Amino acid sequence: MNVLLVFFGMALVTFFTRYAMIALIGHGNLPPRLLRWLHYVPPAVLAALLAPAALAPQGKLDLGLPLWAVVAGVLIAWRTRNVFWTILGGLVAFWLLKLVVGL
Amino acid sequence: MPKDFQRGFIAMLPLFPGLIAFGLLYGVLARQVGLAPWQAWAMSMIVFAGSAQFTAVGMWNGAGAFAIILTTLIVNLRHLLLGASVAPHLRGLPGWWKVILAFWMTDESYALAITEYEKGSGSHWYFLGTSLGVYFIWPIASLLGALFGTVLPDPARYGLGLVFPLTFLGLLASFIKNRTALWVALVSGGLALVGAIYLPGKWYVIIAGLLGSLLGLFLEERNSP
Repeated sequence: MNVLLVFFGMALVTFFTRYAMIALIGHGNLPPRLLRWLHYVPPAVLAALLAPAALAPQGKLDLGLPLWAVVAGVLIAWRTRNVFWTILGGLVAFWLLKLVVGL
Repeated sequence: MPKDFQRGFIAMLPLFPGLIAFGLLYGVLARQVGLAPWQAWAMSMIVFAGSAQFTAVGMWNGAGAFAIILTTLIVNLRHLLLGASVAPHLRGLPGWWKVILAFWMTDESYALAITEYEKGSGSHWYFLGTSLGVYFIWPIASLLGALFGTVLPDPARYGLGLVFPLTFLGLLASFIKNRTALWVALVSGGLALVGAIYLPGKWYVIIAGLLGSLLGLFLEERNSP
C-alpha cells in the first residue's frame, strides 16, 4: 500500500466534504427559509459535538468525573458566555473533584 | 497581517491543550499500527482531519486503501452540515478564499468562526486564523506523539479530553438566545448522545445536527406564522 497515495485520497474526499456546500450555496441570494434553517445549525451541531464528548467519551454512557466537570462548565458558560473561562473552570472543577475523590 | 487573523489565532490558543492531547494520542496509535513518525506527521499535514485520522489508523492493518478512503469520506460527511452553515457568510469572497477556508476547516475552527460571524464580528481572516492555529499545533503534536508518546504521561489523567466539550459549551451559550434555541440544543444533544452510543462513526453529529436544526425551523415558523 502506497502510504502517501492513501493520504492524498483521504485528503481529497475530506476536502470534498468541506468544500461542497460552501461552493454550492456560498454565493448569490439564498431563500429566506434556507437561511432561517441554517441559523439553527450551529447550536444543533455544537450540542451534538458536546453531549457525547462529555457523557460518553468512550462510546458508552459514563456519568463519572467528566460529567461533573461539564456541569460546572454549564454554570460558568451560562454566566460568562466566555470560552476561556469555561475551559479553565471546567478543568479546575475536574482537578478538584479528582483530588477529593482521590483517584 | 490583518488584525482579524491574529484575533482568530489567539482565540484558538485556549484549545491547544486539547489539540495537543489528541495529537499525542493519535501519534502514539499511528506508531503502534506501524506508521513511521514522519508518516504520522504527514497524515496530519495532508489529510488534517482528526476524527478521520483516528479511524484510519484504527483500520490501517487489514483494511485496504479503498476502505480507508471510503470510511474517511463517511466520517467527514458531517462537514457538509458545517459548510452549509458557514456558506452564507462567505458569499462575495473570491473563489480561492473559499477553497482555502474549506481545506482548513475543522470542527473547532468552524465553532469559533461561526460564533463570531453570528455575533457580527466574524470575518474570513478570523476564520483562517482559527484554522491555521489548529494547523500549526496538530501536526507537531502528532509527530511528538509518534516519537515520544509512550514515555509521556497520559493526557486523559489531567482531564485534557474535556477541553473540546468545554469549548463547544462555552460557544453554545452565546447561541441560546431564546426558548427555541434552547430546545434545539437540548434535543440535538440528547439525540447525539443516543446516536453516539448506538450508531457507528460520526453519524450522530449529522443526524442530531440535521434534526435539531430542523426542529428550530419548525418551532420558529409555528410561533411566528
